[in-house]
Amino acid sequence: MEKKPLLEVKNLKTYFYTEDGIVKAVDGVDFEVYPGETLGIVGESGSGKSVTSLSIMRLLDPNGEIIEGSQIIFEGKNLLELSDDEMRKIRGNDIAMIFQEPMVALNPVFTIGEQIMEAILLHQDVSKTEARKMAIEMLQKVGIPEPEKRIDEYPHELSGGMRQRAMIAMALSCRPKLLIADEPTTALDVTIQAQILELMKELQKEYGMAIILITHDVGVIAENADRVVVMYGGMVMETANVRELFKEMRHPYTWGLLNSLPRLDIEQERLYNIPGIVPDPLHFPPGCRFNTRCEFADEKCRKEIPPLYEVNKEHFSRCFYYQKVEEAQKLKKAGESA
Amino acid sequence: MNTELKRTLRKLFKNPSAILGFSLLTFFIIVAIFAPLISPPINPMFPDENGNPMKLDNPYIMPILSWSSDPVPPSKDHPFGMIAGRDILYGVVWGTRTAFKIGLIVVTASTFFGIIIGSIAGYFGGWVDEVLMRITDVFLSIPFLLAAMVLTTILGSGLDKVMIAMIIFGWMATARLIRANILQVKEEQFVLAAKALGIKNYIIILRHILPNTIFPVLVQATMRLGSLVITAAALSFLGLGAPIGYADWGSMLNYTRNYILGASGQALAYWYTVFYPGIAMVLFVLAWNLVGDALRDVFDPKLK
Repeated sequence: MEKKPLLEVKNLKTYFYTEDGIVKAVDGVDFEVYPGETLGIVGESGSGKSVTSLSIMRLLDPNGEIIEGSQIIFEGKNLLELSDDEMRKIRGNDIAMIFQEPMVALNPVFTIGEQIMEAILLHQDVSKTEARKMAIEMLQKVGIPEPEKRIDEYPHELSGGMRQRAMIAMALSCRPKLLIADEPTTALDVTIQAQILELMKELQKEYGMAIILITHDVGVIAENADRVVVMYGGMVMETANVRELFKEMRHPYTWGLLNSLPRLDIEQERLYNIPGIVPDPLHFPPGCRFNTRCEFADEKCRKEIPPLYEVNKEHFSRCFYYQKVEEAQKLKKAGESA
Repeated sequence: MNTELKRTLRKLFKNPSAILGFSLLTFFIIVAIFAPLISPPINPMFPDENGNPMKLDNPYIMPILSWSSDPVPPSKDHPFGMIAGRDILYGVVWGTRTAFKIGLIVVTASTFFGIIIGSIAGYFGGWVDEVLMRITDVFLSIPFLLAAMVLTTILGSGLDKVMIAMIIFGWMATARLIRANILQVKEEQFVLAAKALGIKNYIIILRHILPNTIFPVLVQATMRLGSLVITAAALSFLGLGAPIGYADWGSMLNYTRNYILGASGQALAYWYTVFYPGIAMVLFVLAWNLVGDALRDVFDPKLK
């Protein structure tokens, strides 16, 4: 059963022109999002995941540029070829976005009701009274108690979790087909995090929308994503469905990332961490971007950028030695169980 | 919001200098509104056929009540004294209206232009910003008095021309201020969030950015309202502003040029010619400055 993707990102390259040189924040990224699924994008800070999402929305800072040859195809239309006006109609209406900091993502001088209504009035042909009714309904949906009262409150009168709920209400008020959630729970405490993610799942089921969930939190990905894209240094390192990725990762970076999680099933003196630091995006090493921190790296890795190898139909890895990674994992598992 | 407003007002009126500022301002407003009652625009020198004093066509032109141009000390009929045959009280009272007129029109217009130029420059950035800010720099590099003088020479003198000059050379500080604030606010995530909802640029500027940046500009505009009156007075004093006999504090000082130094041996002989228009000006500026200070205390989150 071959489904048609809702969004296809093909060879996306986003460069920033700074005084120090060209920052290749996103350098040839491909992935698809299918209707109704959750695609997790995971990576360390500076891996290009947020720039990817801003590129899809075409909301880059003026010094950022999407390089010729990139394609972002949404429902058959290349978003990069649309006029600013056409793109604006897609934002909020077809593709919506929620942000990391609910504290600052709402305008402090307007009530949350006014802000939700603004989005509704912009994209839908309804009267103010209807828009208000819809806003109250949305607030109820996202689990804000007493929505008739809360709608007239200012952002500073709400808690962080409530604000993120209000943000979600705002983003979903026009029933987008795709929701981009850029670290939606990073700024919230753990119990609220779980509630918000649960809420997003419920609303996804109800509306049938696709979600791109961007996070550095592997745990959040494991719980919520259907498929995962692992990014590093502006490139996709590995992509697979979530179960396979966690069990049979075929890229040393993914392995390191998952290894650095605390585990309850074995005793650990200290947590593993990937040696070295994320390379400076102004001076990526030649060859594979991960070669400075990779235990499998050899001469070939320092010269050539590996292609995305097909592990199986749904699983790709950008590593020359993805088979070696598999063997190493088997050895390690054998050692653990012994 | 109502409790917020009440708290703000309470805070405002706990501050003695704010109270002084607002009372002075109220006083000037009352004088301006009731000018025709305090100093009726009539000239008793020229009664009509029924013996009633002649009504003035233009109440802003001070009536000539005596043919002697020398200053006359304060008396019961002319409590502030007379100069150049004109009643100083009349000039001060109607001059209040002139002061408000100059201040409000010039500040409103120049702030408006400043906000437009500053917000376009700040929001769009890049070469738009570069071009607009260099133009601003050029305007700033011209000494104001000189520019105003040249402009009034070109346009011809008169109060309206002075006001035009003050508007043309008065918007730069506002533009810079609003640009700096917008540069800060446009990086806020709620602006990005608004863009992500597909909201149009000009609505983002008007609804999302300006309300978050406008207060410093309002405070600055308030303070400028007072000082502009001084500038206008300076231009009038130089003979560029209001026409002769116009009820304007600055042009009234123009009359006193020959009497400022007093008579020989009596430095203070003609004190009233300078004192009354002068004190009106000082108090007017003081009122706006105190009000501006009070507004800043209320609006500036850093001083809370």
